Amino acid sequence: MNFEPDEEQRLLAASVARLFEDHGAQPSADPVRQWRDYRDMGLLGLPFAEANGGHGGRFEDVMLVMEAYGRALGQVPYPAVALLAGRLLEAAGGPTAQALLAEMIAGTKRVALALYEPGRRYRWDDPATAAECDGEGWTLTGAKIAVLGADRETVLLCPATTAEGLRLLAVPAGTAGVAMEMLPTPDGRQAANVRCDDARIPAAAEIGDPARNPALIAAAVDGAIAAACAEMVGAMERLLGLTVDYLGVRRQFGVAIGSFQALQHRAADMLMAIEQARSMTIHAVAMLDAPAAERTVAVAAAKALVNRSSRFVGQQAIQLHGGMGLTAEYPAGRYFQRLTVLENLFGDTGHHLDIVERAGV
Amino acid sequence: MELGFTEDERRFRAEVRRTLIEQVPERIRQAVREEKPLPRAWMVEAQRILNRNGYAVPHWPIAWGGRDWSAVKRAILAEEIDRAGVPKPLPFNVALIGPVIAAFGSEAQKRRFLPPIANLDLWFCQGFSEPGAGSDLASLRMAAVREGDHYRVSGQKIWTTYAHKADWIFCLVRTGQGGRKHEGISFLLIDLRTPGIEIRPIRTIDGYHHLNEVFFDDVRVPVENLVGEEGKGWDYARYLLGQERTSMGNVGFSRRRLDRVRELAGPLLDDPGYRRRLTWAEIELKALEITQMRVVANERPPSAGPDPKTSILKVKGGELLQTAAGLLLDALGPEALTAGFPQAAAEEPFQGHDARSALVSAYFSSRKYSIFGGANEIQRNILAKAVLGLGKAA
Repeated sequence: MNFEPDEEQRLLAASVARLFEDHGAQPSADPVRQWRDYRDMGLLGLPFAEANGGHGGRFEDVMLVMEAYGRALGQVPYPAVALLAGRLLEAAGGPTAQALLAEMIAGTKRVALALYEPGRRYRWDDPATAAECDGEGWTLTGAKIAVLGADRETVLLCPATTAEGLRLLAVPAGTAGVAMEMLPTPDGRQAANVRCDDARIPAAAEIGDPARNPALIAAAVDGAIAAACAEMVGAMERLLGLTVDYLGVRRQFGVAIGSFQALQHRAADMLMAIEQARSMTIHAVAMLDAPAAERTVAVAAAKALVNRSSRFVGQQAIQLHGGMGLTAEYPAGRYFQRLTVLENLFGDTGHHLDIVERAGV
Repeated sequence: MELGFTEDERRFRAEVRRTLIEQVPERIRQAVREEKPLPRAWMVEAQRILNRNGYAVPHWPIAWGGRDWSAVKRAILAEEIDRAGVPKPLPFNVALIGPVIAAFGSEAQKRRFLPPIANLDLWFCQGFSEPGAGSDLASLRMAAVREGDHYRVSGQKIWTTYAHKADWIFCLVRTGQGGRKHEGISFLLIDLRTPGIEIRPIRTIDGYHHLNEVFFDDVRVPVENLVGEEGKGWDYARYLLGQERTSMGNVGFSRRRLDRVRELAGPLLDDPGYRRRLTWAEIELKALEITQMRVVANERPPSAGPDPKTSILKVKGGELLQTAAGLLLDALGPEALTAGFPQAAAEEPFQGHDARSALVSAYFSSRKYSIFGGANEIQRNILAKAVLGLGKAA
């Protein structure tokens, strides 16, 4: 085993760290410009095969990028668009998916996977959203929620139940019959709730096929979960850094509060939680190429542990910052908000523990 | 021993419950149950109803509206107020400044302040914490210099809840230097309309605006607004902290949150892992309820200062509210991400996209329970030193 990044990976990590920190330092971020920066640095094409117009990066590279993204509290929907929807397009293949992927890599089109539905928690494989075919195309009806990365120009990849099984339709957000409500998430980003009422989708907008779709989506989601774990590790690492700094400068009773052993031990517990989370993230990344059953258990186990670490680290960081941690202006609170959102994303701790338990581990 | 509630106490509970439901409008109780911030006018409305019934200040001297009710009955009252979704009587008024004025204020101060404080005709906020004086409160630096018939006050207070809604602020100020840092502290009442006061909002991670910084730049405060004697402010603050503890454990509030968990969790109630977390929370609540009553039934004179065991209520009660908030957040699943989140330091009931948005805010906001009013670390110091005799006395 060798956990050290090679020279090329070190360069990648350093340059994305610089870019993301620059973006984070901008008082009013211009998302269009930031997205262009991601493209220019090759990040939009990073995880895709060269044959598909990508840069042939590996999961390990994505992990390094996402740790840096987490440390810098990245704002643009890179993970949702490139690492979830983009990876699904690549795995599905076929002309429609390939054309969308090429535009996504070129930075001219956004795609987002509309996974969740009201009242169904994290279940996506049996959607209430339904599509009917009349020979010329599809009529799509249903509701999707919490679509991260979507805006009004996005192409939504919508899983829908049909007579033949689970279909995946590429639905431009502007399609007649599609209503989108953009809502602020607790970490200052946006997500969409989407309603489709008899939206007409051309037959050519179909991606994948019912026989393969559940497996394709499951693999794309697992990859996105591993990326989210890396983002959480990066965010936790920075949050602990902020906390340790604060313990060193905040003085009460005539001394730095970091001199109190109870608080030192709390910080040490946070460190251990983060290192265990990092190890499980590495495990998940290492297993992304494994057979589906093993991959899914590894990824679920990782998300469960990273989630638990994240709740502990986030809550304790706020506690150790005292009132300062409760303010929206001080960065610790923003990391706590981001970690809370990521903990929820793709399944909370209970959801992933269930997956691990059902596998009989 | 009488380990259960007496017949009289049970009757009292039933009567309080009926009165609250009959008299406090459903719109107010619903907003409280949904954990939405209330408009100021609704809080005033609710407290006036409580006051009319003798429920706002039962622990005060009878001459000023108090009732001759046992601490157990007052604890029952506090619990029922929370359970019914009635806003608590403003704690800064009824639990903090009111008893201090009643005990140490001049006759003129009592006549001037106590009736409007009880009725929330006058809204007080609490000016204790400063940027450099949080857990270490006695390090406070805001200075009041006496000049004839007034003080000139300069300095800063922070974490001041509802300063933007308040009429007056009660402050610990430094009137003397030298000696131990607990000495030279005085207790002043300050009208927030006095020139030289600036209130700046602090937006918190729940998306709302409850907290403020309050800046005092050479503010003139009449000497008649000094409570008690100059330099005795720390004693009064200690007295204040030893006051009404009957709702310290927030038993009724936790009960309400766990009821809400049951309403919202749906199929999760059949999930063994989630179910077990909820079951533990219920057991913790029962234990807390009885610990609360044990502390309450052991009445001490206020001059004895705070009962160190109230620290157990503070820590356990706060942790339970945090646990319940976590259960609520998890009950929402992915819908927590798109319930809408208040963005512009919302003040009035947030017209969020659905009622669940307030619950997401409540998860973030609940972190405060282990921080304000003496962080849990400070409470554990108190338990270790004052109850267990470990280390040196504080």
